[in-house]
Amino acid sequence: MMVRNRSLIRRLLTVDLPMLAVLAFTLAPYLWMALTSITEKSRLFTEGPSLAGATLANYTRLFNTVGFGTNLLDSFIVAGGTVIVGLSLSVTAAYAFSRFRFRGRRLMMLQFLLVNMFPLVLLILPLFILMKTLGLVDTYLALIIANSTVAIPFSVWMMTSYIDAIPRSLDEAAMTDGCTRLGALWRVILPLCMPGIIATAVYIFITAWNEYLYALTLGGRNVKTITVAIQTLIGEYEVEWGLLTAGGIIGAMPATVMFLFVQKRLIAGMTQGAVKG
Amino acid sequence: MPAALPVNRGHLMTQTRALTTPIGRRILPYAMLSPAVVVTLVIVFLPMLQAMWMSLHDYVLFRPKSFDFVGLDNFSKALADPVFWISLRHTVLWIALTVPAQMLLGLITALLLNQQFPWRGLARALVIIPWALPSVVIALMWVWIYDSNFGVLNDFLLRLNLISHSIPWLADPDTALYAIVLTLTWQGFPFFAVMILAGMQAIPSSYYEAAAIDGASSLRQFWHITLPGISGVLLTATLLRVIWVANSIDVIFVMTGGGPGYTTYTLPLYAFIKARTGLDYGYGSALAVCFTILLLGFVILYLRRAGKNIG
Amino acid sequence: MKTKLKSAAFAAALMIGTALTGGAANAETVDFWYHFDNPDNPMSDLVAKFESANPGITINAENVPWNSYYDQLYTSIIAGNGPDAALVKLNALPRLIEMEALEPIDAQLGSWDGKADILPNLFDLTAAADGTHYLLPVQYVVLYLYYRTDMFEQAGLTPPTTCEEFRTAAKALTRDTDGDGQPDVYGFGFRGGKGGHDHWATFTLSRDGAGFGPGEMTSAAAVEGTQYVLDLFQKDHAFPPSAPNDGFKEIIGGFKAGTTAMTIHHIGSSKGMVEALGDKVSAVPVPGCGGGHWTSFGDESSAVFSSAKDKDAAWKWISFLSSAGNNAEFNLATGQLPVTLTDSKNWKNHEARFVDATVASLPFAQLLPNVSETADFTNTVWPVSMQRALIGEISATQMNAEIDTLYNK
Repeated sequence: MMVRNRSLIRRLLTVDLPMLAVLAFTLAPYLWMALTSITEKSRLFTEGPSLAGATLANYTRLFNTVGFGTNLLDSFIVAGGTVIVGLSLSVTAAYAFSRFRFRGRRLMMLQFLLVNMFPLVLLILPLFILMKTLGLVDTYLALIIANSTVAIPFSVWMMTSYIDAIPRSLDEAAMTDGCTRLGALWRVILPLCMPGIIATAVYIFITAWNEYLYALTLGGRNVKTITVAIQTLIGEYEVEWGLLTAGGIIGAMPATVMFLFVQKRLIAGMTQGAVKG
Repeated sequence: MPAALPVNRGHLMTQTRALTTPIGRRILPYAMLSPAVVVTLVIVFLPMLQAMWMSLHDYVLFRPKSFDFVGLDNFSKALADPVFWISLRHTVLWIALTVPAQMLLGLITALLLNQQFPWRGLARALVIIPWALPSVVIALMWVWIYDSNFGVLNDFLLRLNLISHSIPWLADPDTALYAIVLTLTWQGFPFFAVMILAGMQAIPSSYYEAAAIDGASSLRQFWHITLPGISGVLLTATLLRVIWVANSIDVIFVMTGGGPGYTTYTLPLYAFIKARTGLDYGYGSALAVCFTILLLGFVILYLRRAGKNIG
Repeated sequence: MKTKLKSAAFAAALMIGTALTGGAANAETVDFWYHFDNPDNPMSDLVAKFESANPGITINAENVPWNSYYDQLYTSIIAGNGPDAALVKLNALPRLIEMEALEPIDAQLGSWDGKADILPNLFDLTAAADGTHYLLPVQYVVLYLYYRTDMFEQAGLTPPTTCEEFRTAAKALTRDTDGDGQPDVYGFGFRGGKGGHDHWATFTLSRDGAGFGPGEMTSAAAVEGTQYVLDLFQKDHAFPPSAPNDGFKEIIGGFKAGTTAMTIHHIGSSKGMVEALGDKVSAVPVPGCGGGHWTSFGDESSAVFSSAKDKDAAWKWISFLSSAGNNAEFNLATGQLPVTLTDSKNWKNHEARFVDATVASLPFAQLLPNVSETADFTNTVWPVSMQRALIGEISATQMNAEIDTLYNK
């Protein structure tokens, strides 16, 4: 009764309120964008974004004439493919880094970081020629591979730290029960570092989703992601603010919606009960 | 630590296995690594070596026939270039401000998102949004927010009487870089929030329960349980973020293009402008190589100090 | 002659082949790159029209984002994956010629009956330094001065024709309208960011003795021009404080919002201006300074690349775009002005006053020097030094010296 009320107030003060403050900071620019995207075009510069005369014209135009739907699909395929490729390669590599001590371990971990330290723009030209030689320009595969190379290094490092947090005794227990190393990875470790996997998958998805340089250079008429499509809204003499903001609003949604579902698995206590008894 | 297991038995079994399949065991880690390594080697390392090779030549894209070997000329030119040093200084400032800001805000957010409250799922999803937006959209939106004609920031501050007239945030050399730092903090803190949140899930709640029973305050619980528990993840995330922020030029490029003057030039941005816009790939590559070497130096130092907590 | 194949099977095979092999050579496709300020995909109508008149030629038109257009172009050419034809501006010509990327079109022009219909001096303006023609004009704009008719009327001013009048007007129009003691309307929206060199050039290059040749940029006249701009900002405060970083969206936005009373741009933005301001906006040619008159000629042409698989097909396509009727349709989509005499005569797409201002400016509309230094000038040297001069880091003399070094070192 009294205790409940006090703890509810306490919770409201220490959790809900600060959370709202953070969300206010997070969402304010996004809401400003949303407002701009529904503002009537002729009023946009004279009176600024406003709800008066709000219209969804930008959204219909975005999908009907600009063909944003196709772009969303292309982005989705590229990002999804990168998650699959990136995760499968990173998890196995991370397990190896975490559980084994072998020669060249430190060097290889460093090599992965080195890959992300080099400014991407200088890699575009050689990479473009490489893809052209392989005949992969303007295909999904080219973009998936290119994005994976950007995503893998960080993913390996992150997954290694997540796997490190799981006691080795669990591996060994699994192997005593008759699993091979890979079996131990698959049956025991992976389920336990599910939060880490989710976080890494989110990271890979978002990195691939927002990538522009590779998408521009290696894509083309067949593969046009939303980042490239949005850039075409910035013209030489005019910026299509309404379409641009509408594109941005829609562009942020897939990742957000996916995370809404996936974040349920980010719960504590997964390592407990694993070794009791 | 979890309840003790007969670990010795496990070790013995593993050792027995090792005696019977030594080669298999030794190759396994390399086998598990090889796909990732091979892909990175071919797709990134090869181009990187080509770029490094370009840096030793005088190579301008619109004069594709002349590819004279100039040795380290581009590098000595860089060291004598005042813009190089200005860019370097800004890069250091850029990283030193943005990463801690992102990390702190991300940490606070993660702590909040780890608590129990009814709309937690929604909050977690909404926090992702800045991170999920394409850079060009973020840059343009914030340019408009900072706009001195109808920017909402100036409007807001004017109404609160904190400033007397609109500040041209991006045109004023004193504020431009910091304005972009704020934008990047907004863009990047969700990364830390999600990564740290995931890391927190591995900390058994029994620790917190035990600490609560012992009468420890929330702050002490944070300091002695949470922080050590996420230290590995935190240090790794910070390292990765430093590398990412150092290299990130999308937002700066669209917001100010490096201006006004050279005020928002960072080293990778300078390399980008030289190569992409100026088509001088020889010099641009040299700048990129310098940047990578400096960053690598920092990373090695960082790993030496924090290394025991990471892998 | 090519035999007719079943178009569906042909198209399908083409697509599969392209997807698998990354663009296998097919003599009847033309890869065409363009950049439109119109995201509604207007090129598809023109493509359909051309393809039905020229069966056997397929046009793959690709809209490349403007701010990466030339980056993409140069990179693709070097990588061997460039387009067959594309929109090209004159300032890219020196570099493309050096790369031996373009195909001369003098022969095709000689036997083309649409040649006489192109506006008279356009071919001279777009020729290479040695007189060879690589570019076929397809649209143009000329920069003029936008001004707020209501603000001028209120202040009892007439649109300025000389620099002195301009300065007077700019100062008079910079005022405080909401009574808080700070000016909130400025005389002129100056574009200090990339692309703003045209503004500076109007006030500087018009002067007798100023130019890009040896000693001309450091002459008294040229420095006076730069100083004129700096004084307007630093002394008269006639530009908004954001001027050093302002790009076209800021100057257009500022003008539409009523923050500035004048700015310089061209007919491409006139539709939006009229939408926002109606009769309160009009245009006149830019003021003349120091004895001369200078405004920027905004050119855009199409070109055939030397790597094109089928140069004849590519020529057919680009000449189609610059022929009467089609050129009008093209410009309806892009919002610029047609290059054909036929289409210009009956042009109703823009409000008359803006067309008049454009035409009146043609006699003194010029381009920057047709050398490869100009690309560096517009991309980096001018923006950086102008910004530094505006914020007081360097002086007018120093700024002009930097430009002089670029062109004449």
